[in-house]
Amino acid sequence: MFITFALITLLGALGMLLQKNVVVAGLCMVAAFFGVAGLFVLLANPVAAALQIIVYTGAILVLVLFVIMMLNSHQEEEAQAARPVQRWLSVALVAGLAFGAMKLVLGSAGVKALAVKGAEMPQAMTLQKVGTTLFADHLLGFEVAGLVLLAAMIGAVALTKRNL
Amino acid sequence: MDKLASLLHTSPAIAWMVAKLIIVFGGVFSLAALWTWVERRGSAMIQDRIGPNRAALFGKIKILGLVQPLADGIKFFFKEDLVPHDANKALFWLAPFLALVPALMGFAVIPFGRSFVSGGQEYHLALLDPGNGMGLLYPLAIGGMAVYGVLVAAWSSNNKWSILGGMRASAAMVSYEIGMSLAVVTIFMTTGGYDPSEVISAQGHLPWAWNIVRQPLGFIVFFTCMFAETNRLPFDFAEGESEIVAGFNTEYGSMKFSLLALSEYCHLMTASALMATLYFGGWQVPFVKDPTVMLSVASFLVKMLFFAWVFVWIRWTLPRFRYDQLMRLGWKAMLPLSMVNLIFHAWRMSQGH
Repeated sequence: MFITFALITLLGALGMLLQKNVVVAGLCMVAAFFGVAGLFVLLANPVAAALQIIVYTGAILVLVLFVIMMLNSHQEEEAQAARPVQRWLSVALVAGLAFGAMKLVLGSAGVKALAVKGAEMPQAMTLQKVGTTLFADHLLGFEVAGLVLLAAMIGAVALTKRNL
Repeated sequence: MDKLASLLHTSPAIAWMVAKLIIVFGGVFSLAALWTWVERRGSAMIQDRIGPNRAALFGKIKILGLVQPLADGIKFFFKEDLVPHDANKALFWLAPFLALVPALMGFAVIPFGRSFVSGGQEYHLALLDPGNGMGLLYPLAIGGMAVYGVLVAAWSSNNKWSILGGMRASAAMVSYEIGMSLAVVTIFMTTGGYDPSEVISAQGHLPWAWNIVRQPLGFIVFFTCMFAETNRLPFDFAEGESEIVAGFNTEYGSMKFSLLALSEYCHLMTASALMATLYFGGWQVPFVKDPTVMLSVASFLVKMLFFAWVFVWIRWTLPRFRYDQLMRLGWKAMLPLSMVNLIFHAWRMSQGH
């Protein structure tokens, strides 16, 4: 199961990068998000899987595809000039980030929890637990995120509607 | 069930799972096919016509033209399968499946009858057993996927009418999803859980304790949003044949068109089932405390088919909205109403009711 979902995620991501057609690239991204949702289910977190699908594939990517269709741009624009320095710099940066993230994940306490078997296994995540965690342990972060989103929303309206 | 399982050399759990798969997917699919007939006969009834009544088995058995869906199916299978020259071939093939699969999957979490115990094992009448952790988030997630079928069908046809239809549909579905989700969140709050079985048992068997009485405003919002989500008239902006030919499925013919049309009816069934579950007590039978399994299934079916009929009824009663009216209704009426509903119930809960 893990291999299946991991393959769906990776192939989706690869397809998104390599595909020249923008709409097909977007659909590849949908596949990648689906794979991630499947991985969440395998990690006993169905709530995160459902939210991943609702938020990312159900809302964000639909809007992205909507904009692509509205601009009617079928093909990716060609770069005007090859920029080898930037390209290799970005590859190196991404590799460094990926390495650091892997190291953090493998060194964290969560990895040991994966080895736990039987009755000791942690219970599956529920919406109630997500709610309590958000509003009890991470209230400040939650409120700040809400404020940032509100500011972004007002900014978007102000940018697009000049005469309110 | 035990005997059947031993006959097939499997465990009762697996035999039950397979049986449920067949019941749910086969049931929803055949109900959707049946509903094409109900729609045609219903529209004829409403418009004082007769409707399809000629199709007959072996040229004899007519039964009100009930074999019409069968004849339609055979006809669709034998029609020429055209793909437009400039269409994106792969996506053009993929789109009907992208539309149909979410439409069928959405039903999986809905309990269509009460659970029962047989041979020391508990059997649940829902494809995904209660306590799966997804609960009612699952139909919301799958419902959000439904827009891809329309979008991909629209874009891959490479036809301006199709793209217009697809864009309208995606904008409408995304806007109405917010109001709908807030209405469902209110139900999660008052129930204290988000599993459909919890929502049903919290409503009890007395009709005045059902969520329709407790949250009439939420029901109105949810009901309206369901029309936009299923792309049914008065909100069927994906098609709108008076404006954009046939919308997103203009270029589709034969079985591919049939799949797109059937997926709409599957959506309709899932939407009706959701309304019955969330607001009308699901499989609860009014005034009967512990109904038998068959009675609970029948009660659920009656509620669900009633709403499926309401969808048909409204389609042939109301004219189509204008597009800006639809967006205004979604953002300036449904979303605030849904918020009012949410805040009112949050306030009531904080007062200890």
